[in-house]
Amino acid sequence: MTAEAQGVGRSTEPIDLQALVETIPALVVCALADGSAEFANRAWHEYTGCSSPELTGWGWHATIHPDDLPNFIQEWTVATAAGKPFETEARVRRADGEYQWFAIRKALAVSRDQVGEPSLRALIACEDIHERRQAQERLQQSEQRWQTAFENSAIGIMMRDRADRFFAANRAFRDMLGYTESELYQLCQLDVTYEEDRELNLELVGELWAGKRQHFQIEKRYRRKDGTLVWVRNNVTLVPGTGGAAFFLFTIVEDITERKKEESERRSIEQRYRVMVETASDAVVCIDEKGAILLANPATTKVFGYDPADLIGKPLTMLMPEYLRKLHEDGFRRYAATGQRHINWQGTELTGLRKNGEEFPVEISFGELTADGHRIFTGFVRDISERKQAEELRASLYATQLELAQVSRLTTMGELAASIAHEVNQPLTAVTNNANACLRLLARRNLDPEVLHRALEEIVADGTRASAVIARIRAFIKKAPAERKELDINDVIQEVLALARRELSENRVLLELELMKTLPLVLVDRVQLQQVLLNLIMNGIEAMTAVTDRRRTLWVQSHVGEAGDVLVAVRDSGSGLGSEGDHVFTPFFTTKTNGMGMGLSISRSLVESHGGRLWATPNSPHGAIFSFTLPAAAGSPP
Amino acid sequence: MTQAPVVFVVDDDPSVRSSLKFLMSSVGLQVESFDSADALLQRKLPDAPSCLVLDVRLRGLSGLDFQRELAARNCHMPIIFITGHGDIPMSVRAMKAGAIEFLTKPFRDQDLLDAVRIALEKDRERRERKKEVSDLKERFNSLTPREQKVISMVVSGMLNKQIADQLGTAENTVKVHRSRAMEKMRAQSVAELVKMIDKLESSVEP
Repeated sequence: MTAEAQGVGRSTEPIDLQALVETIPALVVCALADGSAEFANRAWHEYTGCSSPELTGWGWHATIHPDDLPNFIQEWTVATAAGKPFETEARVRRADGEYQWFAIRKALAVSRDQVGEPSLRALIACEDIHERRQAQERLQQSEQRWQTAFENSAIGIMMRDRADRFFAANRAFRDMLGYTESELYQLCQLDVTYEEDRELNLELVGELWAGKRQHFQIEKRYRRKDGTLVWVRNNVTLVPGTGGAAFFLFTIVEDITERKKEESERRSIEQRYRVMVETASDAVVCIDEKGAILLANPATTKVFGYDPADLIGKPLTMLMPEYLRKLHEDGFRRYAATGQRHINWQGTELTGLRKNGEEFPVEISFGELTADGHRIFTGFVRDISERKQAEELRASLYATQLELAQVSRLTTMGELAASIAHEVNQPLTAVTNNANACLRLLARRNLDPEVLHRALEEIVADGTRASAVIARIRAFIKKAPAERKELDINDVIQEVLALARRELSENRVLLELELMKTLPLVLVDRVQLQQVLLNLIMNGIEAMTAVTDRRRTLWVQSHVGEAGDVLVAVRDSGSGLGSEGDHVFTPFFTTKTNGMGMGLSISRSLVESHGGRLWATPNSPHGAIFSFTLPAAAGSPP
Repeated sequence: MTQAPVVFVVDDDPSVRSSLKFLMSSVGLQVESFDSADALLQRKLPDAPSCLVLDVRLRGLSGLDFQRELAARNCHMPIIFITGHGDIPMSVRAMKAGAIEFLTKPFRDQDLLDAVRIALEKDRERRERKKEVSDLKERFNSLTPREQKVISMVVSGMLNKQIADQLGTAENTVKVHRSRAMEKMRAQSVAELVKMIDKLESSVEP
């Protein structure tokens, strides 16, 4: 017998245990020592909705959740055997079939029947702990969830105490640093912070602990276990411990190594570009949509003579001569409105204006960039004065060569003429002498028929000889077309333009080239064709010298004509042909004060000798067009 | 006794050469033709008025070079140039060197014949002048040294007395030398003698 039971046994008063138990609002079962129920109180009946017979004996066990029952019986058995108090938690079925958590305890009570015979009873009381239990479960679940989230977060999370020692660190953080959890908890945060970043970090942490701030953000480097560095952005918050626990630092750690790398790459690219622009020998000038200068590099000083700082905000047109400004403004406006480019953006040759008023040739390339909704145009301006001089030198050398070629051709012609004269004059002289001698003898009636016969024979022989000379010359002249070669007429045009470049620029004539890229070849004498083209181009330039009220433009075009031949047109915006249009091809007709009037006449002959045609038409609204055709060389692809 | 005039023709063109010969023969001229300058130089030139019709363009020595060569050989035969294609500098050079005419082929026959006539006339005059001077030289050389001395003093305008004084002899002796020298020189007067001596002195040929 236990002490408890003995204690109960001291009273001898009869106790109506059932009546007593009925008054308890909790669920109570009165059981025998083995646990079989004698009765259950009303509360139990009401809660379970079971009748008395259902609950008595072992029936009440059926109201305990089957999952909890084995444990319940186990603990009961153990407690009973050990004589220890029994207390457990289990779910008990409600009348509606739902189970609720209860704390179930056992108390021993002595029951005295009418005869006063005491008997030991076990009172099993159930306290409703459903709410508490649920709250506990929820808390557990929440903690578990949080733990899962903490552990599995892609962002590093760690916590450390006032001594800077880690006490929690998730996988992301551990992976970031390459330490295991246990290794990490041996370390301080400062241990893994990169040496150079420690001071700032310490200072900020100090401010947190000193209450000067609740939170800070820092970008710094950690040294990984393998010695490499990792860039992180830490959001550090001071968290007060709940329930009097110690304050700690809660840190969210974001790996920004990639971003830092990109940033540094971008910076180094920017740096490189800046260095390129700053050290470029070409002037680099950026303008906005209105044509105002936003930026100019140091080379601008060398090229234009202006201090870059003085150019900011000024219109770009101040870097070009007066006569180009309107052209630029119109073109720029048109481009801004329609996107239509009126000049080549890569390597256009134009004229620049230096601070000292000097005009000089430049080569310009443009780039366009849209930044924050604004269009920025960048021009790369190269001073090509020296190159131009070299080109002109080359052109003048070439012109000299051409002249020499012509002179030598003339000399050859002169020599040929002398040779022809001599060759023909010899037999002619003999013929005349012989005939004259005969005449004289005849006059004196002294002409012996035999002498006459011999003289006539000689005359015939010399006549034959003279015609043989002529035939030989003709054969020689027929050989002349051997000078003709298959050429791309565009090449010849370019050669001649090189000769005319100085004239074009000195007379401020704008050249517009429209050369068809794939033209059939033509079989021509290069020098003769050069003469024709040079003649037409120089005529065009001269025709515009008096023009002051409009742009002086010379168009040189090449394309395939309707008949598959090659057509070249030289068009000017000059004074035009007027009423003299019909006469321009007449030899010795000229409108120029110092002209011979032979150029167009010779040009036409030269073109015609190549099987082509040369003609003139008025240009609209001003000027003239001189066009010529040349047949495509046999076998040349159309 | 001088021989009949001769026209020499040098032209490397056989038909021109023969036609020239025919033409000039038709007016009775004696013509000798050669195909090169060298061939002409081989021939001993006759003692007769002569001239040369020369083509500028020749094989070997050119006409102009030949002109210079003849002058160097002290041959002063007048030259008429003919050319198939002459230019002005060439003709100027030829004329400066003493050419009679510069004709461009084909020329008018009369122009050539006129030029030949002029050339032969010039040569005849030249030859006559040359003959006269050599006669005078012969006469002058026949004088004794004393007579030569006396007449050279007479020609310089000195009087007999002055000559006698200078030579340290009698005036009469001077008179004898003088008249003998005049006779040998076949001079009718002192004026004629002066002309003769003048011709002799100026005829020192180049």
